[in-house]
Amino acid sequence: MIWIKNGIVVDPKNKINAEKMDIFVKDGKIVAERDVKKEDCKVIDASGKLVVAGGVDMHAHIAGSKINTGRTMRPEEMRVVRNIAGKFRAAVGRVLLTAPAIGYEYAKMGYTTSFEAAQPPIGALHTHEELDAIPMIDKGALPVFGNWHLVFKCIEEKNLEKLKALVAWAIERTKGFGVKVVNPGGVEAWMYGGNVKNLDDQVPGFSVTPREIITWLIKANEELGLPHSVHLHCNNLGVPGNYQTTIESIKLAKGFSNPKRQVLHVTHVQFNSYAGSSWRDAASGAAEIAKVVNSMENVTIDMGAAIFGHATAMTGDAPFQFSLHKLIGARWSNKDTEVETGAGIVPIGYLPSNPVHSLQWAIGLELGLLVDSNKVVLTTDYPNGGPFTEYPYVMAMLMSKKMREGELKKVHQYVQKATTLPSIETEKTLYEVIHMTRSLPAKVLGLENKGHLGIGADADIAIYNLNPLETDFSNEFEKVYKSFKTAEYTIKGGEIIAKNGELLKEVFGKTYWVDARKRVDLEAVIPDVKNYFNYYSVQLGNYGVEERWLKNPSRIEVV
Amino acid sequence: MLILRPKGEFEVCVEAELTPELAMRSVEEVKKFKVYYGNRVVELGELFEVVKEGEEKKLVLDGNFSRVKWIGARMVDGEIIVKGSVGANCGAFMRGGKIIVEGNADDWLGTEMAGGEIVVKGNARNLVGCAYYGDAVGMTAGKIVIEGNAGNYIGEKMNGGEIIIKGNAGDFVGTEMRAGVIEIHGSCGFVGGDMRGGEIRIKGSFDLLPTFKKTEKGFVGDVNVKGEGVIKTL
Amino acid sequence: MQVQDVVCTFCGSVCDDGEYDLEKRKIKKFCKLGSSKFAEKERIKAPMIDGKEVSYEEAIEKAAEILANAKKPLLYGWASTANEAIRVGVILAEKLGGVYDQCASVCHAPGTLATIEEGLPGATLGSIKNRADVVVFWGANPMEAHPRHGTRYSISVKGLLVKDRKQRKVIVVDVRPTKTAKIADLFVQIKPGYDYAIISALRAIISGNADVVPSEVGGVPKEKLVELADIMKGAKYGAIFYGLGVTQSRGRDRNLENAIKLIQLLNRFTRWVIWPMRGHYNVVGAGEVPAWEVGYQYAIDFSRGYPRFSPAEFSAVEVLNRRDCDAALIVASDPVAHFPKMAVKHLKQIPVIQIDPYPNMTTLVSKIVIPSAIYGIEAEGTVYRMDCIPLRVKKIIDTNYWTDEKILEEILKRVEKLKG
Repeated sequence: MIWIKNGIVVDPKNKINAEKMDIFVKDGKIVAERDVKKEDCKVIDASGKLVVAGGVDMHAHIAGSKINTGRTMRPEEMRVVRNIAGKFRAAVGRVLLTAPAIGYEYAKMGYTTSFEAAQPPIGALHTHEELDAIPMIDKGALPVFGNWHLVFKCIEEKNLEKLKALVAWAIERTKGFGVKVVNPGGVEAWMYGGNVKNLDDQVPGFSVTPREIITWLIKANEELGLPHSVHLHCNNLGVPGNYQTTIESIKLAKGFSNPKRQVLHVTHVQFNSYAGSSWRDAASGAAEIAKVVNSMENVTIDMGAAIFGHATAMTGDAPFQFSLHKLIGARWSNKDTEVETGAGIVPIGYLPSNPVHSLQWAIGLELGLLVDSNKVVLTTDYPNGGPFTEYPYVMAMLMSKKMREGELKKVHQYVQKATTLPSIETEKTLYEVIHMTRSLPAKVLGLENKGHLGIGADADIAIYNLNPLETDFSNEFEKVYKSFKTAEYTIKGGEIIAKNGELLKEVFGKTYWVDARKRVDLEAVIPDVKNYFNYYSVQLGNYGVEERWLKNPSRIEVV
Repeated sequence: MLILRPKGEFEVCVEAELTPELAMRSVEEVKKFKVYYGNRVVELGELFEVVKEGEEKKLVLDGNFSRVKWIGARMVDGEIIVKGSVGANCGAFMRGGKIIVEGNADDWLGTEMAGGEIVVKGNARNLVGCAYYGDAVGMTAGKIVIEGNAGNYIGEKMNGGEIIIKGNAGDFVGTEMRAGVIEIHGSCGFVGGDMRGGEIRIKGSFDLLPTFKKTEKGFVGDVNVKGEGVIKTL
Repeated sequence: MQVQDVVCTFCGSVCDDGEYDLEKRKIKKFCKLGSSKFAEKERIKAPMIDGKEVSYEEAIEKAAEILANAKKPLLYGWASTANEAIRVGVILAEKLGGVYDQCASVCHAPGTLATIEEGLPGATLGSIKNRADVVVFWGANPMEAHPRHGTRYSISVKGLLVKDRKQRKVIVVDVRPTKTAKIADLFVQIKPGYDYAIISALRAIISGNADVVPSEVGGVPKEKLVELADIMKGAKYGAIFYGLGVTQSRGRDRNLENAIKLIQLLNRFTRWVIWPMRGHYNVVGAGEVPAWEVGYQYAIDFSRGYPRFSPAEFSAVEVLNRRDCDAALIVASDPVAHFPKMAVKHLKQIPVIQIDPYPNMTTLVSKIVIPSAIYGIEAEGTVYRMDCIPLRVKKIIDTNYWTDEKILEEILKRVEKLKG
């Protein structure tokens, strides 16, 4: 039992804005004062300190074949030593981190949940092995659907029941959490060396279009009532002029609604917010996108902010990765995956002296500033936009115009005319930024017990050495940044796991997965699945992941 | 001048970044210098006899140092004389000064070297003047002279400086080389794969790749990377 | 009673369609190599110290003591065990401050080095089976080393877009007419050691620099290289599978770097992928597991308490050649039979602990021998097929043998106690 005394609590879900109050923890949950015996509590004196829920990263590439191939192809990334073996595991990595380092770094920063954003269904077991190897945090994974032949077939047939059955079957088989869509149709086109460019392009070999893939998957997802909405990586990622495709894709959510959450989450939007016709005249499309997102009640986005320094591009968007390889001449890995999906990996870096990189940096921030705080989650699309360990940089930037002015001086001045960032006056409040990093991502994912400090919530708590009542967030940005870099306390599931950057206890969190089988008749799709397995290279009986193989599975049943 | 002598045969390899800087310290200090002996960190004095003669910035390694790695790594000035053979990574990241090895050198000699000089009187093994895995450029400046033979992969990704092999070299000399000079007085195998620039001069025979054009300057290539590297006879 | 969908734990093809008859103790559908694995074979009967039979606990206690006291223990093998055991092995190496190395360092590791330089543009076997209209086996002979590869994934298999053998062009590049070469549509015989030069020539031809290429390269007439280049460029979806003929001959990783550059170039015209024909059933896991646990695939030294990667120093053969280890734990491998003489010589001079289901040459030099259960027959676990596709191998019969995972966990527990 823990008694966090006199902290200044910011808990947007429960509408608590910098109120001095006590928080009580018992059996891994936040409980009422009357439920603890105070004399048995470990007391943490949080006087003058900020108490918030543990951070929730809803989109990062932390486990599976992509990040592991990234590690393999980039030994230069692994030379940074973060922890020497002893009571805790050795932990290494610059931006790409080993599994222990991922858990440790999140914990030190006060983050306690992170979701792997792209899981190839046939590789699900690999993703879970790596998730199981990440200590400290709770986890989940989103299997990809947007280029799967079976999905195309259901949509071609316009058979919603079949599509729903497929989604429920696949999420169960992969022990996945929701429906991820990456460059719908484009990755299949890549199998022929191409890509799709418009929402109405036909996918080679199928009579379906990206528009139909997105719309039908939203329909299926909503009828199934999954905790999370469709999670979309739009077409044309990384292509100047793509903001229009992004806006068109966002508008596909019109006509759907869900009282609990958005019906479409569009991810790492920074990479999909480019105006212009080439990298020579590229500009920001963030303001237009923000307008559309703000005008809709059922769409959320995450930033995919770019951080100056090293990064590694890794996505299921294989054709984009090849274009990137051609553009910058760097190493390139690719994986065409059965008749399901694909992926690619290319090392990159963001330099302030480079006009395009500066543009990307600015767009990420524009999105964070211009979109309603209730609709934009803070991410870097780790490791695509950079390290998650720099979230505090983005947090501080959103809250301080002065900090932005200083940073704007250091970057390529191309951003002055190509983006609206220099003219944005907005300074997000601490309450908003805490929402964007805690309660909002939890809500977007549909995790009711995460991201807040109400009674019954998981006792995932971060305490920062920052008094919100006495901090001038506009001017004291350095202090703000530093405070959020290292939590004074990180509590996970009711246990203190890190204190002032020092690890105290190694714990292994849960892996959430969603079981929606009761919502469908699996027989609607099983004959087709069996037929398609002629084109797989494994037996249907050997496909998928059993719950007992996972270290700490947590099933969320949709009934 | 500081003289180090191994006290006996080592059970496993030793990793010790011994630089001429040590000669500037007192014998007591030198004896306390930390070196890696397998998974233990021990004091230099446990493994080596230490003798100091005068104040010259010079390190003499007297005895068999073939299982001592990282000698002269990151050194910036002064001199090291190895009376016998030397272990891997000798002179890695070196920026100045001189290393003379009277015996043979193990792998990764002068890796990513940026200045100074290394002379090996015996033979050198593989990967002289290269880049460590994952790094973009190898040696950028300085000079490496091998009086005997050298192994494979000499001067890979080299971007400046000079490597001179008085004997023969193995295969894949100057692969992905960008700048600098490699001279081989004997013979070698494949030369200059995906070479972008720089010059390789060879006295003996070698294997020419099918992607070099014969010109007045010598063989120019590698055409696969639109390279302007030159291979010619010495 | 029959067990269906049995997963084979012999070669990197990891066929998963076996049918095991529990009464007759016989496997159906597998090739000769796979079937022999599932047939009864001589086993190590019991744990031994200095040739004397002891209990598991005694052997483990002694093993832990030797490893914990070593200045630099070498932990080698791992290609024929499950990921669960490999993970404990990596953590054990980290805890001991030893060296972790795996069988790839003497076979396909050059492919990893090439990946570091240029990446790995690849595909799963299921993608190749459905799409590849041109398949090149370069220095690889699946007809003998991976007998069902052709019928399941790459040669005669029925795919979605490429329906049969007739629609698929099979090319073999090798130094001798192998069994696979005999069934190929085109066989290009090359002079040993000239893979690199030939790949360079192909790149030049494909990128429009054919004029530079001399009339013959590596024993192949230019016309034939032009023909090969044209086929490659004309493919809708091509795949190169490479074998030890490339990775273990002159040039090694440089050959593969060059081949990957060829693939990069070809993708500017059409689709091509490249993939290694990995040998042991879980040699991929032996690299992937340490990659996520500690950042590298093989040749990893932990003597400073954190991982460092250096194949020229920390691969098993180099460690042994330099006498840079003072104890060894060998798991599911037989280095005494396969390593060079000088390396074996050092292995004979240090205490060796072996964990293996079967006796082999290494058993003869081992101070401690710990027998283990066979994954895929007596034990369940996760393995990665050659294309990194994870498969769960089954336990189909009971055994009293402990699994590698359990043995290693017990060693780790004791080491943690000894090291404090």
